[in-house]
Amino acid sequence: MSNQRQASSASQVPHLSPAELSYLYTSLSLPKNPIRPDGRSPTQFRPLSAETNILPGTNGSARIGFADGTQAIVGVKASVEKTILAADTLDSRSLAQHGDALNREGEEGSAAVSGQGEWVQMSIEIPGYRDDDALPVFLGEMMRESLVGSVAGGSEEVKEMAGGLKGRLVINKRWHWRLYIDVLLLSQPLAYPLPLLSLTTHLALLSTKLPKLKSTGEEDPFFDDDWAVAEYLYPRSNKQSSPSDAPTYPVRPPVTLLVIAVGENVIFDPNREEIAVADAVLAISITRSSDSENMKLLSIRSIDPPSRLTQPGIPNSENVNMLGGPPASSNQSGGQEEVGGVWRPRRGGVQRSVITRMIKTVLQKGGVGEEVIQGLEGVKVE
Amino acid sequence: MAITILAPVVENAAPYNADSDDSLSVASDEDVEMTGTSRPHKRQRLQGESNIATGIVTPGEVVTDDPQWMRGHGTYTTPLSTSIIATVAGTVLKTNKLLSVTPMRARYIPEIGDLVVGRIVEVQSRRWKVDVAAPLLAQLPLSAINLPGGILRRRTTADELQIRTFFSEGDLVIAEVQSVHQDGSASLHTRTLKYGKLRNGVFLAVSGTGGSGASSSSVKGGRGTKSVAGSSLAAPGGSGTGGVVRSRRQVWTVSGANGGGDIQIILGVNGYIHISKLADGAEAASSATENVSITRLEEMASSSIYSSQNEDISAKTRREIARLAQCIRVLVQNGVRVDEETVMKAYDASQEVDLEIGDEEDEDDEWRQEGREYLEGAKAQQILQYVMR
Repeated sequence: MSNQRQASSASQVPHLSPAELSYLYTSLSLPKNPIRPDGRSPTQFRPLSAETNILPGTNGSARIGFADGTQAIVGVKASVEKTILAADTLDSRSLAQHGDALNREGEEGSAAVSGQGEWVQMSIEIPGYRDDDALPVFLGEMMRESLVGSVAGGSEEVKEMAGGLKGRLVINKRWHWRLYIDVLLLSQPLAYPLPLLSLTTHLALLSTKLPKLKSTGEEDPFFDDDWAVAEYLYPRSNKQSSPSDAPTYPVRPPVTLLVIAVGENVIFDPNREEIAVADAVLAISITRSSDSENMKLLSIRSIDPPSRLTQPGIPNSENVNMLGGPPASSNQSGGQEEVGGVWRPRRGGVQRSVITRMIKTVLQKGGVGEEVIQGLEGVKVE
Repeated sequence: MAITILAPVVENAAPYNADSDDSLSVASDEDVEMTGTSRPHKRQRLQGESNIATGIVTPGEVVTDDPQWMRGHGTYTTPLSTSIIATVAGTVLKTNKLLSVTPMRARYIPEIGDLVVGRIVEVQSRRWKVDVAAPLLAQLPLSAINLPGGILRRRTTADELQIRTFFSEGDLVIAEVQSVHQDGSASLHTRTLKYGKLRNGVFLAVSGTGGSGASSSSVKGGRGTKSVAGSSLAAPGGSGTGGVVRSRRQVWTVSGANGGGDIQIILGVNGYIHISKLADGAEAASSATENVSITRLEEMASSSIYSSQNEDISAKTRREIARLAQCIRVLVQNGVRVDEETVMKAYDASQEVDLEIGDEEDEDDEWRQEGREYLEGAKAQQILQYVMR
């Protein structure tokens, strides 16, 4: 029961005493200038180490380790699969996607078959959890939905990415790629593992290569044996192109960032203690769209903040163990009013302006989202 | 500036190179001749004259199959063979004919008189169960705490019923190990005015005194082999040598820089650390503790020993508390022992580093200003150099 509760909540919450929670909350909600327990600035991430192509048997793989010892490995495998065309096998959801794709076809006038979200399979393994536990399933779906939902704009230089990742997986009308993304958390989930897994998946997808197609049109596909000419799943920007051109913004896999709000402050990359006192925890998925240099918002999910379940502190005035304190009869107050230095579990939501600020900080030009994606771009793939 | 991504560092890529072949296995008696046949496992030996596994052995690895050795801590033998097998990951220690394996990292082993910081995990009818990072939970009996006001009397059922008003789940306590049971679990007591519930500050857990009790003498200067990159993937305290050691003073007060006020640091021998603002009036109480008689205990017992309400703590104090916590983290991540001396050195160093950087950098640059207080990473190196000097 309690295990179940923890799994649905934002992390395995450490037992913190009310005094600690109060201290943390007050420090983090200091106006303008929160003091994080590890001295980081609100938008600063913990340093992480990253490498790609570590698994020789995969199409793409990556490993990221945070300085606190948590690390994850992601492997991406691709296989060719025959597309089932019969409309009657489509469930309602893919019907909706199909309709969506039909509209797009109408606009673009291309004969391309639309991809399907099911072609991307994601499995997440977290030590201590079964694969059908709430946390891995929820995390997997959260990452998959932004992945298949990230649709590129219709600019012509990234023709092959039209329709996003789904469109990229289409080989021809009868064949398509199926992508298996296996995410493995190597350590105990010290904090909510979503950002780590998402960054690693991003990096693995960036390094993923598919063999070069030699057949054309509607033939049965066959591929070039030479791995050296394999193409990236997400095309790399060719730096050689003349700089006088308008800068191109290649399509990138999405990144999901964990953002918390404490009081009026917006804090990135929270550690476990910080999540424990958050008013709101949001998972914000962003990507770079091809038609503008701005970040594009893909999805926002709110995650149950664990502070809800914490124990309230007892103010000195109600503490029966305090000398000179009133007897326990003064119970009618019910502990509703705020007393400085006493922890009260957060009830109710957060203000709309705070949510707006959280999203803005991620999305704005030169904001955190852009820096994260640029940082990951800088990791040497190959 | 928001995100730093580093290339992975390879730690100890070649621990078995020729010159360091025997350096990790400590021989206290060098004249023992070790001859034997080839070792049964596959690690390649570069100097084949001894058949004792050197360097770091892992659980299940055969240390030796020579029958002349006796097995010590951290090893086992099967009845059917003479080989000694390691049960923990660590270095081999030879004492005359006794072979033992010193674990690289172990949980805290309680000893009588240790000052520990613990967290209540369970409330039972007459006692609390306390997490002190030991293999078993420690117990804190209701009879081993001070009653509010220092009243000395038998604990009644009324006390048992309101046991949660003293400590409840999640609360931090500072206590002393009163006795250690046969199975290694500890009994605690808080029967001093200095002990009790902790508040007004932050808690951090690092590795404590574990295994065969890494004493302060053997750990000094132990950063030779450890890479000092702040980016290493090692978990906090994963180096094995770092951590809190038993020392003369486990609790002391720092006067914080930059108007930080008085800050109290409690280093639990078990590796649990609490850094807090010195409570109002605590100083007066502690100075008077020496000459307080048992009859005046009632007057002297601080009225706030079971309070869970924080005092007003200024932003400056909070900043210095965060800085102290980071200094300790830097020390632990790089395998330096943690005691009063090293913590204070690191604290001074962190301020010097900040001053230097403050001179170099453009003060107006908004982005540079941000995250200046984050010490891990590049600054950790400078702090360490200062501490090890």
